[in-house]
Amino acid sequence: MHDQGFVLFVEDSDDLRETFVELITAVVGRRCIGVGSYQEVVALGNDVLGCSAAIVDINLGPGQPSGIDVYQWLRRVGYAERIVFLTGHASTHPLVIEAARIGDAEILSKPVDLDQLRLMVEGVRR
Amino acid sequence: MTRSLDLAARHAWRAAFAAAVLNATGMTADFLLARGLPAMPAYPYVISVLVGIALILILLIRRQSATVRLGSAVFMVNTAVLLVGLWITSGYWAATGSAWTPFQANKLGALTVAMLAPQLAVGLVSIAGFTAIALGKFYFLDPEIQSGFPVGEAWLILIYALFAGVLLAYRVRGLAIEREMLRVQAEAAASDRLARTFLRLSDYANTPIQTIAFATELLRARNRDDLMPVLDRLTRAVERLRELSEALTRHQKAHHWSPGEESLDSSFPRQTLVPGDSRYSPYNGIGRNPAA
Repeated sequence: MHDQGFVLFVEDSDDLRETFVELITAVVGRRCIGVGSYQEVVALGNDVLGCSAAIVDINLGPGQPSGIDVYQWLRRVGYAERIVFLTGHASTHPLVIEAARIGDAEILSKPVDLDQLRLMVEGVRR
Repeated sequence: MTRSLDLAARHAWRAAFAAAVLNATGMTADFLLARGLPAMPAYPYVISVLVGIALILILLIRRQSATVRLGSAVFMVNTAVLLVGLWITSGYWAATGSAWTPFQANKLGALTVAMLAPQLAVGLVSIAGFTAIALGKFYFLDPEIQSGFPVGEAWLILIYALFAGVLLAYRVRGLAIEREMLRVQAEAAASDRLARTFLRLSDYANTPIQTIAFATELLRARNRDDLMPVLDRLTRAVERLRELSEALTRHQKAHHWSPGEESLDSSFPRQTLVPGDSRYSPYNGIGRNPAA
């Protein structure tokens, strides 16, 4: 089981992000930080090292750095915990294929249910 | 998008146009060559050239609404006028003796039909026409004129007809294959467009579905008994939407992503459903709408 670090959720949909943060806080009982873009993740700086799981939307908007860029930045700054990609795209989408090539990241398709969400947040690190 | 039917109509139009142009120019040239022949009437040439010009005009007028039937009809009329002209004029040419190569125009006509005929049946009838006119005319020629023909004439027209028939069948078959390939390509393109539309709809729907699913769980966690039946209904509705989304993505293998396409504009479905509505301007990000 993880220590009780916070959960990082990177998602460009305001509605989904805010709902997710509330759900994690109220139902799962974990602190959660929601950010909407790569730039916001980078702005967190070394604070991200305190999170125990990062859940990242693959597509963060047209013309914007993707969730894969977020993944690479997290690994670059030394974040070693679990990273889960969340995507609404089909498995043949180029970004999803690119994400699948990353060996230590998991990919889940939207919509996920509460059990899958718990597993994402509390699951054993691979 | 070019459909196979459009292509067939265009082929027929071009074939008829080329045949009419060849009629008008060929018969004009033949008339100029025949001016010195004694008693050669001008009217077969004049009629043939005028009909050829009239057919060219008809084809130009109907260019945008061309059909295979129109092309074939024009081709047949053009051939019929030519055959009448050749029937009349070949007798005068034959009377010149050695200066005339027997039924050269008929042989050329048969081979030209092979290259141009818009349909197999039209082509075969036309080739048969050129052949029959040559043989029929030969039959009615004076025996003295017949005896002056080179060896094998006028039966050599049958060899030309055979070659023309084979060439025609080969060409028409090639055109049919080309049209079939075009149809298959058009179907594949339509399938790809449909798959892309389904994928974009699915992509667009998944984030809102996820939001509703999480919001439902959030409300459920508040343990409001009066809300439970409503939340159960919401859960069932989300499940059905999830099934719909999965069904839409089943077509994903039919879609081939092109460079840059992965950056989909999430306003796509609304623009599709409500075209021209300024409220539905493009915005960045799945589910994010700054206009909202």
